[in-house]
Amino acid sequence: MINFEEELKKFHPSLEVEDAEEAIYNQDLTDMADLMVKIVKDAKKVEEE
Amino acid sequence: MICYQCGCTLSEHNFCTNCGADVALYKRIIYISNRFYNDGLERASVRDLTGAITSLRQSLKFDKNNVEARNLLGLVYFETGEVVAALSEWVISKNLRPKKNIADDYIDMIQTNQNRLDTINQTIKKYNQALTYCNQDSLDLAVIQLKKVLSLNPKFIRAHQLLALLYINSEEWERAKRELSKCLEIDTNNTATLRYLKEVDEMLMPEEGVKTTTKKQKKSEEIVKYQSGNETIIQPVNMKEGKGVTSLLNLGIGLAIGIAIAFFLILPARIQSAKANIDEELRKVSEQSDAKTATIDELQQQLNELTEANSNLEQDLSAYMGTDGTLRSVDSLMKAADTYLTNPEEVTVVADYLEEIEADAAESESDNSEAFESLYNTLLALVGPGIAESYYNDGYEAYRQENYEDAIPNLEKAFQYDATNGEALYNLANAYYRVGDMEKARETYLQIIQLFPGTEKASKSETFLEEMENEIQD
Repeated sequence: MINFEEELKKFHPSLEVEDAEEAIYNQDLTDMADLMVKIVKDAKKVEEE
Repeated sequence: MICYQCGCTLSEHNFCTNCGADVALYKRIIYISNRFYNDGLERASVRDLTGAITSLRQSLKFDKNNVEARNLLGLVYFETGEVVAALSEWVISKNLRPKKNIADDYIDMIQTNQNRLDTINQTIKKYNQALTYCNQDSLDLAVIQLKKVLSLNPKFIRAHQLLALLYINSEEWERAKRELSKCLEIDTNNTATLRYLKEVDEMLMPEEGVKTTTKKQKKSEEIVKYQSGNETIIQPVNMKEGKGVTSLLNLGIGLAIGIAIAFFLILPARIQSAKANIDEELRKVSEQSDAKTATIDELQQQLNELTEANSNLEQDLSAYMGTDGTLRSVDSLMKAADTYLTNPEEVTVVADYLEEIEADAAESESDNSEAFESLYNTLLALVGPGIAESYYNDGYEAYRQENYEDAIPNLEKAFQYDATNGEALYNLANAYYRVGDMEKARETYLQIIQLFPGTEKASKSETFLEEMENEIQD
């Protein structure tokens, strides 16, 4: 049986057009490739030390 | 594919031919990203939008620069009614690849049509308002608001789902199912939609089961089966009765309802419309009236100004009239001087001109120049005695003939032009006495006594005055 109150909590306000800019800026764009590059760089540093 | 270190295009080798960096792992990451993109594309093509979103997000987690995946994710978001999320993805995509990017077209499509953008924003605001109503327990208002949202954006899945949830809460299962079916038409594999639908189906199925069984029972009750030899005879129990009266009754009821609807719904609307038209007309007439009133005020102001100007002009005219009068006096003086110089005997003519000057001076009350006054006085001194004599002769002749009406003005003039002529004054007093103007007579006798004391005329005047006083006393 669906619990109305619980289900309602799953609905969140939709972003308005005015908020689009802020949403774009706040988006976390770090990907696996970035992580890999960072790991490689860190490993190189350790090797150099 | 380019090297993450130097940006050089990579070959089939597992190292960069330019900088020598190991790109095996990097290549694998890019492959996984592409794999997820392909998966997302397949899911989107069969309208599994939820699955497509999941795959495309995964693809972007591996490679944020996968522009195709990002564009497709934006498109899928747009299809589910999430316009702002779609715009965000397209904007990022455009920043990653400014040229030859289809996201450019998508953004233009939305941004160039201001009305569409406004509608989208209105839709989102209304959805958020509906959600607020839900949290405030104003569920009826939320339903109304969500219906508005869906009329503006029928593909807004979250709005459909929320509306379905509200219907489920109010146990309106059929409506809930309708909304969820619309959701499934857009997104075939949405988990929330499927969960709600399962709930709705569970609530609907028992009723349908009952309905079907009861129908079957009814059908079985309505017929009678029996075997007649090898044949099965099916006989209806209740034959249908004639429905003529019922139809007429229904028709009558329908007609009555129709009339009632026309009376209660259509008529007020028409009246309202007519009232609105009348109000509009009234407003127009009122505006015209205001405009005319303003015009009248303006004209009244102009009239006042013109009246004032006219008054000023009249004053100027009267001033000019005064000037003209002065000129006329000068003209009369010139004529008098000319007459006297050419014919000194014509004293009466000169006297007429001088009298005109006096009359003008009395009317205009304007000051004449010193030269004018000097000439006038000189002329008067030259012709005065002659004029006085002429008037005296005429006056005395009239007095002698007891024509006092003519005698009085002539004698007055005679004394006016010659103040030493006591005889003229005495005869004037007697003439007043004779015509019964006692007041004037008394004044003139007193004047004689004052101006010519010790003369015979003065003593006679005193005698007359005494007689007059005696007469008054008697």
